Amino acid sequence: MLDSLLALGGLVLLRDSVECEGRSLLKALIKKSALCGEQVHILGCEVSEEEFREGYDSDINSRLVYHNLFRDPLNWSKNGKAFPEGPLGALRALCRRTDPGPVTVALDSLSWLLLHLPCTILCQTLHALSHRSSCPDSSSSMERVRVLGLLHEELHGPGPVGALSSLAQVEVTLSGMLSQTSANILYRRPRQRPTHQTQCFSILPDFSLNLQGMSTLESQPHPDPPTTQADPTAHLTFNLRLSEKEKEAKDSLTLPFQFSSEKQQALLCSGPGQATSCIFYEPDAYDDLDHEDPDDDLDI
Amino acid sequence: AKNNVTSFQRKGSRASGTDSGGSRLVSIAGTRPSVRNGQLLVSTGLPALDQLLGGGIAVGTVLLIEEDKYNIYSPLLFKYFLAEGIISRHSLLVASAKEDPANILQELPAPFLDDNCKKEFDEDACNHKTPEPNIEMKIAWRYQLLPKMEAGPVSSSRFGHYYDVSKRIPQELIEASRWHGFFLPEKLSSSLEVEPCSLAHGYLKLLKFIQSIIYEEGFDGSNPQKKQKNILRIGIQNLGSPLWGDDICCTENCSNSHSLTKFLYVLRGLLRTSLSVCVITVPSHLIQNKAVIARVTNLSDTVVGLESFIGSEKETNPLYKDYHGLIHIRQIPRLNNLTCDVSDVKDLGFKLKRKQFTIE
Repeated sequence: MLDSLLALGGLVLLRDSVECEGRSLLKALIKKSALCGEQVHILGCEVSEEEFREGYDSDINSRLVYHNLFRDPLNWSKNGKAFPEGPLGALRALCRRTDPGPVTVALDSLSWLLLHLPCTILCQTLHALSHRSSCPDSSSSMERVRVLGLLHEELHGPGPVGALSSLAQVEVTLSGMLSQTSANILYRRPRQRPTHQTQCFSILPDFSLNLQGMSTLESQPHPDPPTTQADPTAHLTFNLRLSEKEKEAKDSLTLPFQFSSEKQQALLCSGPGQATSCIFYEPDAYDDLDHEDPDDDLDI
Repeated sequence: AKNNVTSFQRKGSRASGTDSGGSRLVSIAGTRPSVRNGQLLVSTGLPALDQLLGGGIAVGTVLLIEEDKYNIYSPLLFKYFLAEGIISRHSLLVASAKEDPANILQELPAPFLDDNCKKEFDEDACNHKTPEPNIEMKIAWRYQLLPKMEAGPVSSSRFGHYYDVSKRIPQELIEASRWHGFFLPEKLSSSLEVEPCSLAHGYLKLLKFIQSIIYEEGFDGSNPQKKQKNILRIGIQNLGSPLWGDDICCTENCSNSHSLTKFLYVLRGLLRTSLSVCVITVPSHLIQNKAVIARVTNLSDTVVGLESFIGSEKETNPLYKDYHGLIHIRQIPRLNNLTCDVSDVKDLGFKLKRKQFTIE
């Protein structure tokens, strides 16, 4: 559910494309968390602050803390308004914040950051940002920091996208036509199987989410071609199953090496009186039949 | 008289000097010599995997686990390895860039206790067997006299234990064990500047850490008067991921493409000269350059790959419906002999039952 995206902490990756833009979804999610009373920090890189704040009413605007990287990303004006350390410094400053309470950080956009920073540094900083542990003196559990990142997937190769997906807890891929946008949501919970969901939605002019139909796909159902399974047990030259009579006959068969009572009788009776076999031996010229017992030589 | 038959005499036990007493073989808890080549082996924690690898992992080698796509099953193997170390009272070194090692240790599976386990195994077995009358064997009756093979834990085994993944290891066992953790974000937080060197920053720090632990604790024989020899089990998680500072997962033509391979080379050198074993998990499905995967495979001793069926078309294939994935044994080392012990069965599947991870 798109509603519950914000319930989980961690990195939420919004992948959009040219056909289906994701900034409006990002703004809708920002509005939702602002309405929940959380602090929202926005790192704006791609659009200007005025354009970003457009469409929000004033009380939401007052809750958004906007870090402007768009105006002067390389700090040319040196008038103190921009970030002296560039985008990396801005991200690290966000990591070092120590305000209490749940926080949402929106990165608009991750693509811009990927193009300006090495991918590994960005991944490490994102990981630090979304897994911020609390201050050593307080013994409370980890704060919930949600990081919403907008990624234009067409700008990057499979490498960075794969690396960022493996870091993300939720990955939302947007697709669809003009009026109908659908989001394919993949939840990667830490030690459980990932789950897919597809939800259609639309965004109203005031950036509230209008959720439409949803389908949960645990596994993709494949349309199997109707083939008849070949039965391997047909047309055999031997019998796989036994009928009752055959079973009885099998059970009553005496096996050659079984020592049954009949055999015992036969062996006993054949003892004295019946010469079953005889050996006839003719000694030939070279045989030296010595009838002495060789053991007699021993001194025992 | 019999005593004068031969001039060979059995060497008596040496009175003093060696720390292991009479026999010249080192006897460390939780290890056993291989029946094939005499190498000292430790258990991976999964007796089924031990069997496939020829008895266990040889001391001084690296076991590389190629992670499955969503990284669900490889952490399990990793945890089995660490849990086995705790039970056998080996020292542990856990390194990760993603999770705090203390948290990893908290999630280790609990060992099966001998009295409860037999009941669990029996009921497990009964659930799967179809009700068949116990037919006495008529033709092959000699086989009935043979003792039945134990599929479950044998109480007297000290090599390879069975673990229950649905339960956590008791806290006192963790506290009683000696472990060292290396959590990369903590180590990196001190220095913001990244020096350009051929080895990625995180790898260099990890190598230095491992080296210092081996030296200080005497695993390489540098403190011969130490009371008892022990094995150091090193576990490194997600090596090669961007969180370690390596960009082999990000681009195909990376600037430091030899970083991971150099790390493995130096690591193997460290392992060969000390009583330690290392298990590394690598997200090889994210590595963009196939040559790097091949080099990494060649540089490791044993390589096992996990392929899970989630999200792939194999999930609905009726052939695989009882299993959660395939396990590929990609490489087994030839240590001090000419051939290696490759198992006959090539297609192996694994499944994660509620309590156990089985390989069939």
